[in-house]
Amino acid sequence: MASLVPCPHCGQRPKEEFTIKGAALARPAADADAVDWFDYVYLRDNPRGAYEEYWHHTSGCRRWIVVTRDTVTHEVAASRDAADRARSEART
Amino acid sequence: MSEFRPTLRPALATKQAVASAALKLSPLPEGTIVHVLARPGEQDVVSFLGSLAKPAAHAVRPVSPGQWFIVHEEPMPHKEMKSLFAALEPRATGVDQSHGRVRIRIEGKMASRALSKGTAVDLDPSAFPVGQSAVTLIGHIAAHVTRVGPEAFEIIVLRGFAESLWDDLARMSLEFT
Ligand SMILES: [Zn+2]
Repeated sequence: MASLVPCPHCGQRPKEEFTIKGAALARPAADADAVDWFDYVYLRDNPRGAYEEYWHHTSGCRRWIVVTRDTVTHEVAASRDAADRARSEART
Repeated sequence: MSEFRPTLRPALATKQAVASAALKLSPLPEGTIVHVLARPGEQDVVSFLGSLAKPAAHAVRPVSPGQWFIVHEEPMPHKEMKSLFAALEPRATGVDQSHGRVRIRIEGKMASRALSKGTAVDLDPSAFPVGQSAVTLIGHIAAHVTRVGPEAFEIIVLRGFAESLWDDLARMSLEFT
């Protein structure tokens, strides 16, 4: 149990308790161009460094969270409930 | 009509007792477990649940944001459960998990040491005091853990995993028994 992921609800937990989904990207509007949807569904930057990812705390609170993580050092800068993130983005 | 009749027996009825001066493992009575799921945005659900549950007999265990277990040693009569579900609405919804989940008690001065072999949750009393709950992996099995006493924990696990988790806990306890 090496890599710890901070859950905003449960605290530090081993990565084994989570399911990782991948990049947390802004979803295009339902009627957006096919090019935008293709980009959203298939294309990933795979950056070296800072990255925003969806993690699901599958064996814990079962909430989706958004983790801001460095892919090189595994330093975690932030961890938020995905619903809170969606709400805060809806306001801006 | 088929001769086959399913029989309801406690999930851990066939398990050997695990007990010593330092650690004891026991199946808890298969009474009542109600899973409560609040509607998004509902506030003060804990005090609302406290007012519905009978304080002496029913325990309310936090599960995750907006979710709780109401736990009771005795099975709840159907009528009582129906009225509990009705009283929860519209703020929350109740789901009967009494046959879906099984409770195990692990107690003794080595209980937290044994449990710590399976979970990464910090079980030190300063971080995990009496009354605190957490959903976590114990080995490969997801379980709900509550500290119910200074040296006692209640574990709630899905029924299908109960025997397997019991066997794991018994093995984790071997050196203390
Ligand atoms: Zn969590």
